[in-house]
Amino acid sequence: MKLTRRSWSKTAGLAAAAVTTGAAAGVSCAKPAKNTQPWAPVSIYRATSYSEELYDLVRRIIADHALDVRGKHVVLKPNLVEFDAHTVINTNPKLVHAAFEAFRAAGAAEVRIAEGPGHRRVTLDLADAGGYFATVPKFEAVFTDLNLDEITRVPLVRPQSRLESLFLPNTVLSCDLLVSLPKLKTHHWAGATLSMKNLFGLVPGGVYGWPKNVLHWAGIPECIADLHALFPKAFAIVDGIVGMEGNGPIQGTPRAAGVVVAGASPVAVDATCCRIMGLDPARIRYLQLAAGEQNLGEDLIPQHGERISSVASRFAVLPGLEGLRLPG
Amino acid sequence: MMQYSEDLLGRQNADGGWSYHRGGSWTEPTCYALLALTASGASHTPEVRRGVEWLRRCQRSDGGFAPRESVPESTWLTALTLLLPAGAEGLDRQRAEAWTVEQTGRESGWVNRLRLWMLGADSSGDSMSFDGWAWYPGTAAWVAPTAVSVLALEKMEKSGNQGDLHKRIQEGRSFLLARRCRDGGWNHGSTRALGYDSDSYPETTGIALLALHGATGPEVIKGLERGEQHLAACQSSEAASWLRLGLGAHGRPYPAAALPMHGGVMEIALAALADAAQAGRNPFQV
Repeated sequence: MKLTRRSWSKTAGLAAAAVTTGAAAGVSCAKPAKNTQPWAPVSIYRATSYSEELYDLVRRIIADHALDVRGKHVVLKPNLVEFDAHTVINTNPKLVHAAFEAFRAAGAAEVRIAEGPGHRRVTLDLADAGGYFATVPKFEAVFTDLNLDEITRVPLVRPQSRLESLFLPNTVLSCDLLVSLPKLKTHHWAGATLSMKNLFGLVPGGVYGWPKNVLHWAGIPECIADLHALFPKAFAIVDGIVGMEGNGPIQGTPRAAGVVVAGASPVAVDATCCRIMGLDPARIRYLQLAAGEQNLGEDLIPQHGERISSVASRFAVLPGLEGLRLPG
Repeated sequence: MMQYSEDLLGRQNADGGWSYHRGGSWTEPTCYALLALTASGASHTPEVRRGVEWLRRCQRSDGGFAPRESVPESTWLTALTLLLPAGAEGLDRQRAEAWTVEQTGRESGWVNRLRLWMLGADSSGDSMSFDGWAWYPGTAAWVAPTAVSVLALEKMEKSGNQGDLHKRIQEGRSFLLARRCRDGGWNHGSTRALGYDSDSYPETTGIALLALHGATGPEVIKGLERGEQHLAACQSSEAASWLRLGLGAHGRPYPAAALPMHGGVMEIALAALADAAQAGRNPFQV
């Protein structure tokens, strides 16, 4: 019998499904998880521009979530990918500086800004082009390029991906509080890129290269969940003042959503951000993996500040990702 | 040039290697620092010997080199060590060369081609047709490690080493030509995703042009034009150095522009290498 693509696909369908997991953004129909414990609260704040008001806003976030950083070492991890003056790929430096000042004012012993871009090697030049040098005084003195930092091999906790361990930067491993500061964006592979996907920037290019292709082959959603499992207590502050819709994370279109979303549970924060963008967290595979048995229902995520419905804006997604939409 | 050498010597670690900025020694900045010092005429100084000795200690039992001693995996850096002058004593270059020749990107292997076929994806395009080199074993091939590997194997071939390197070199150069962005330059190696064209970057355009030295044809001319556009707008010293090396390899030398430098070893070494190449001492080529 001649082996055709069709016949092979029919007999090897399961195997094919297994090998495609690395590229799958979502799940078609997730069964609701049984555990109905509430998540840590998520705050939604309106912020319509990158103004001086952000400095007060981040101080309020720290107060609302009772973050005690006195004497602690804090690492702020923005999303710095590429720079294009015509769009909004990166976390706005104004929000990052507002967080930097707020955590210092809250008594942190040290606040560092750290990032390891996935495509470009010239991190400091990228930060300069992105406005970080102009916005954050003495930026170089407080910044660590995570691609080139000192490293330690860390075993993964019950890995969902095919990886057993990862080298990770000591600056992040040794800090007391990691603050993920992503941009609110749709993502052409993962569905959405938020505080958990932002942790890809922790993986050192100096070991794995540019891009960090080991993560792609090991399964993108699974690696996001694995990295989250290493840093489950990261605090998240999402820059949704101007986000990106469509072909994110780089070639999408700016979308003013006018929000900052924050919380002590990256899973709950990302699920809330998905709802704000009109995406169903139950259909985002990495959120399902990270949530495990804990239900991601909206009623289980205590909300502070604005209601999701009052700030929701239906972000455009690529045609192949329409299935990630919230029902209705 | 002299200033760059002094800067590099002042940053050498006590163990003989170099870090990227500060801290422990890594293979990559050590190689670039040694290349730059050698290009400046300091081949036989104690500092260079100590650097080579550090590298020698890092060579792994499989013949390859890891990014640093604590990483138990040989990677693309093995090719980078082959660019060091033949007189770099103590390095087992034959085994490093053999390790490099064995490496291919995972995407061009039969397992991935079968996977794509099962999924109904087209794997016959140019970008899948040629074997390049990966940053890390078991992953796909990308522009920068392929360019470095092409340069390294060329150097080995021209220095008279046995082995049929020519086919692999040509394959790598074809890989680079197939991974050109629509704008004529190169990015990390993803020219098109989900139907959208990606833009090129200055630094990867420079390194790809360097590896394609001697190549001609409209696609190379378009790459050179894009490289010149990148250089005119470039605000990164490191990227500008790669562009100067790449354009210079095609007979289009450009002097260094006054760009801010951040003090990293790679940045200093590449600036020195670009200056050396402009002065006719391109250490990437025989």
